[in-house]
Amino acid sequence: MIVTQPRRAVAVALALWAALNGSAVHAADPNPDAGALALESAPVDPPAPSGGGLKLSLEAAVGRAWLRGPGSEHRSLRRGSVDIVYATRFAPQWQFVFSDRVDALHPSDGDSTVNSLRELYVGWQDPAAQWAVEVGRVNLRQGPALGFNPTDFFRDGALRVSTTVNPLLVREYRLGSVMVRAQRMWADGSLSLALSPELDDRPDSDGWSADLGATNARDRLLLSLSTRWAASTSSQLHFYAERGGRPQVGASLSSLLGDATVLYAEWAWSREPSLLQRALGQDLARQSGHRAAAGLTYSTSTKLSLTAELEYNDFALSSGHRKALATAAPALFGAYFFEAQRRQDLAARRSVMLYAKQTDAVWRNLDLTALVRTDPEDRSTMAWLELRYHFPNVDLSLQGLQYRGRAGSEFGSSPYRRSVQALATVYF
Amino acid sequence: MIQTTPPALSRRACLLALAASAAFPSFGATDAQAMLAASDAIRNPSRPFSVTVTLTEYQGGAQVDTSTLQSYSRTLSAGGQFVSLIRFVKPARDAGKVMLKAGADLWFYDPGTKASIRISPQQRLLGQAANGDVVTVNFAKDYTATLAGTEEIQDGERKLRRSSRLKLESSTDDATYAQVELWLDADNHRPLKARFFAESGRLLKTAYYRRYAAQLGVERPTETVIIDGLNPQSVTLLRMSDYAARDLPTAWFNKDHLPRFQPE
Repeated sequence: MIVTQPRRAVAVALALWAALNGSAVHAADPNPDAGALALESAPVDPPAPSGGGLKLSLEAAVGRAWLRGPGSEHRSLRRGSVDIVYATRFAPQWQFVFSDRVDALHPSDGDSTVNSLRELYVGWQDPAAQWAVEVGRVNLRQGPALGFNPTDFFRDGALRVSTTVNPLLVREYRLGSVMVRAQRMWADGSLSLALSPELDDRPDSDGWSADLGATNARDRLLLSLSTRWAASTSSQLHFYAERGGRPQVGASLSSLLGDATVLYAEWAWSREPSLLQRALGQDLARQSGHRAAAGLTYSTSTKLSLTAELEYNDFALSSGHRKALATAAPALFGAYFFEAQRRQDLAARRSVMLYAKQTDAVWRNLDLTALVRTDPEDRSTMAWLELRYHFPNVDLSLQGLQYRGRAGSEFGSSPYRRSVQALATVYF
Repeated sequence: MIQTTPPALSRRACLLALAASAAFPSFGATDAQAMLAASDAIRNPSRPFSVTVTLTEYQGGAQVDTSTLQSYSRTLSAGGQFVSLIRFVKPARDAGKVMLKAGADLWFYDPGTKASIRISPQQRLLGQAANGDVVTVNFAKDYTATLAGTEEIQDGERKLRRSSRLKLESSTDDATYAQVELWLDADNHRPLKARFFAESGRLLKTAYYRRYAAQLGVERPTETVIIDGLNPQSVTLLRMSDYAARDLPTAWFNKDHLPRFQPE
């Protein structure tokens, strides 16, 4: 007779073991994700042809600007822009880049149509991508700060047109400088040398000019060392020299703090004319000074990104001196601000910038961006606000800008009090 | 005559079996890590590769957006974590933008502004590129796995599958998520489902891996369904296509190379 008790005992033991380990096999509960699993992907596009890419956008803007002063005198604003970027790898190690923008503006201080040849260069890199050389007009931008970049040594004279105060958008207008640039890259850094020759001695106001005089008015050299110290920290050191000037040094740092905060700082030292002396054409005068910018960007889980930045410029006039200049020499006061804008330099000794962007604000694809700049010395402010809605290939946006401050203050001296404009951008 | 086992000896054997199972709980942990590594090898090729990722976003069952990324990934050392270059292809407004992900070193490059900007993990999590990199990540590198049991679950094709459930705890600073629950096919370690949690325990996303097809020599999931943990009505489908083995120099994954990144 076969005894069944041992098999039953083993079965009980197995059941107990399974219960202790929580591994009971049970029928699946109704799946709350069933609806999501029933969805289908969009058709997959065929692979894009290799070798090159053209990016084209068209933009139209209409608006109104109210002038400062008594009454409600205003001007209408109109602009049409074409933006082209073409980059192609025409041989295994060779690259060609062309970047251009045409703006038709009303009103305009000069030609109503302005072409900005931003980049036109040929680049080479070795198969291991450790060496790279570029020759031509290259937009060499430096610095992690958002609103003011003391280590961006090729920034002066690089704007033919500026139709926005948003520092991120201003960068899209910027001209490169003609140069030869070589860079050696390794896992945790790079070393680059840029040599930019003098090609013309003054800017050209002709709207269709390549305007080499704006970016290549003197021989220049920039040596930069980039180092990645850790996964979350990197720095750059710069040595800059130009014919007829004294060498300048600069440094920048960016670092991650926790999961949601990026810290950054830039600093540059030089011995050069002050901004006022440059406005007066007194380029031989020299004073030592520092420029600096430091800030942080904090991002929330609700798609809000906040940036706060402090900016400093030893070569700018103090609030008191600006006010005196505004009273004693209004024309020179205007030239001072024009020179600051031309050089993309800070017109005030100190400035505070706050930048906020809410993605998917209230509705999906609707972004809200706000920018506030304030001069803590004269307490003038500039505030800019944009609502932008993204369709698949079209953006519609509404922008508002306001300047506040007393006469002689940094933002109180703008010819406009406020402006509004609507924009439509089509991407191809 | 049939010989029988004395009842007293069989009870002792059962007790010994129970005691043995309690005395070796750590056996499951080692096995779990190997299972996790096996599932990583199913999701990701072991050599440098590129893949096109088509993202389709749904809100409340209605399609609201599509975008396309190209991901170029490799490990910098054998068995290491992936580093990725994610190039935006569509929509047109974002075409040409690039994100570099190397652990906590995250950079975003915009060719329009010529700016390489360091971004935080939080910023990356809020973009579609974050969903794209759910694809190329080796969990075994950044997480410690323990076997939490076996159960039958509904897979991405809504079929019941017997699965092993792993609990993953982040073990490095580079880990994107604090905890992950991962279900693997009990027979072949194919990833079936995953849930990703923040440090607070909040569910961030649920992913289903499906549409297995031969890619670069292995049957891999070619579609991932990602359900937003905060808003389950928000669903993103990632379709992976055009897997290709690539020669990706390590210098490409240097942020100073981003302005020159133009894959052939």
